[in-house]
Amino acid sequence: MLVIETEKLTKKFGNFTAIDSVNLKVDKGEIYGLLGPNGSGKTTIIKMLCGLLRPTSGNIKLGQTVPSKAVMREIGYMPQDVAVYLDNTVHENLFLFGEIGGLPKERLKKREQEMLEFVDLTDRRDAIVSTLSGGMRHRLSLACALIHGPSLLFLDEPTVGVDPELRATFWKYFEAMVKKEITVIITTHYMDEASHCSRVGLLRQGKIIAEGEPNDLKKRTDTESLEDAFLVLARGNKP
Amino acid sequence: MKLRRTLAFTRRALLQFRHDRRTLAFVLLMPLLMILIFGYTFGGDVGNVKVEITNQDAGLEPGILPALPQGLHMASSVIDNLNKNTLSIHNSSDPQEARQVVDKGNAWAAIIFPANFTMTLIQNLNTSQVSARPIVEIYLDGSNPTIASAVIKTVSQAIQTTVGEIANKLNVKSIEMPITINQVYAYGGGDTKFIDYFAPGVISFAIMMVTTMITIILFVNERRDGTLQRLLVSPASETEIVIGYALAFAVIGIIQSIVVLVAAILLFNITILGNVLLALLVVLLLAFGHQGLGILLSAGAKNELQAIQFIPLILFPSILLAGLFWPIESIPSYLQPLSFFIPLRYCIDAERSIMLRGWGLGEIWVDVAILVIFAILTLAGSVLLLKKRD
Repeated sequence: MLVIETEKLTKKFGNFTAIDSVNLKVDKGEIYGLLGPNGSGKTTIIKMLCGLLRPTSGNIKLGQTVPSKAVMREIGYMPQDVAVYLDNTVHENLFLFGEIGGLPKERLKKREQEMLEFVDLTDRRDAIVSTLSGGMRHRLSLACALIHGPSLLFLDEPTVGVDPELRATFWKYFEAMVKKEITVIITTHYMDEASHCSRVGLLRQGKIIAEGEPNDLKKRTDTESLEDAFLVLARGNKP
Repeated sequence: MKLRRTLAFTRRALLQFRHDRRTLAFVLLMPLLMILIFGYTFGGDVGNVKVEITNQDAGLEPGILPALPQGLHMASSVIDNLNKNTLSIHNSSDPQEARQVVDKGNAWAAIIFPANFTMTLIQNLNTSQVSARPIVEIYLDGSNPTIASAVIKTVSQAIQTTVGEIANKLNVKSIEMPITINQVYAYGGGDTKFIDYFAPGVISFAIMMVTTMITIILFVNERRDGTLQRLLVSPASETEIVIGYALAFAVIGIIQSIVVLVAAILLFNITILGNVLLALLVVLLLAFGHQGLGILLSAGAKNELQAIQFIPLILFPSILLAGLFWPIESIPSYLQPLSFFIPLRYCIDAERSIMLRGWGLGEIWVDVAILVIFAILTLAGSVLLLKKRD
């Protein structure tokens, strides 16, 4: 079942074409990785999919509808910045996003407990966020995106500025979520991470230059790593 | 719009203030500090004004007028009746000398009673035709209008009191006054202190400043940290976000107003003739409007430093043109129309009417309507701004 489908998705900022006629299809339960260097348009695509940016042309379908407030209940979004309230406690942050996500009181309490355990912040529940380490803030940010139980999760560079240990932990989280039938769209410029994805799209100057399973892409380009595969594909060599 | 989601934002913002002690202190102490500083520095009325008095009044000898067997020395009575807290009196025998003291800047005024002061008054009593009025000369250094008017007010009060005493002695209802200053107060009366006039302005001004500043910074941070994006990608509507924060500022505004009012009542014994709840409501309308303005302005700032640059833009027109310290009537007439565009003006106007005149909604509805329109426009504008997708 298709969860996301875009058709000739295009975004222009003035004369600059940030996203150029992108056709994206993501199935339920996939971890789809948008890969590309800085400035290739990864964040712009995510923002359009979340309804934060309006496409210049082209269509987006989330399930059966366009991005709107009506489907936001199903969406979890972790922006590039840590995006949690630094002057509030861990609990208050989770509580806010749970409340506006529409969880009933009792369910919210239970979910908060689950989330705190999931990201290992149970003993920091009442700490003010500004007193937490960067890694803890990142984990809280993920929990805030998940607390209301979305079925579609957008993660914009969730592992930038995160130490290798936490990155490994994060990928464990993401894989665990997919088992719960959450579809994950993730952007990253760490090519090595992309091997965890079920499928990746290689983005360059606003265009998807190649798409497929990580191993498949390596095979097609006859390379050892996705990084090499990207370089081969970026040079325009036909696989 | 769902109440629960709206209140979630209110709760979040209020909890933030609870954790952020310094901001909380700023929010509560700034208005308090303002009322204290202004209350003590120029809230008190003018006092210890140096004046020279020359009393040449020959008076009325005893035994000449049957009605006044003791005689009368009117100028002396007036001098006795002068408020000694306001004026610090030095006697001078020569009027020219007295004027020179003023010319040299060693006194603010010379008050000179002529030799015929009492007699002119007495002559007027006997004729129905007033030929000449007794004259008291006040030679004034008018360089400070506040002091000048305080001197005139003190002298004319003393004269009124004296004339009243004489009228009593003579058993007549009224006497032609030496200086015809007819002071009739519709409101306030002679005992309205400057702080009474000033307190409604301070409350309005403090809440305007705090609300605008905190809102701008709050929303600049929301944008910078990415939390706003997260809110926009949630089932919460833009209206719920704006109203939710507005309610938080309403709570803060009420607390601020109460702090300032209680301080003003306890320390300066200010007058509140009208309904305190109405006074709070009016100031809340201003807070709503300025919150909307803050959100709109926050869109034009990328960080806190840029946000702070908006402050003087709001601060100075409000201080200068809204009638906070001096009446709008005293602004040059070509600048006066500008004050119509400053919402603070209507709030101060309404607050003064409530507190000093005891007016109700029936009298101040124009001010209230303008504040409501201002709030609706800026808050609706904020919602539209948040809805905007490039």
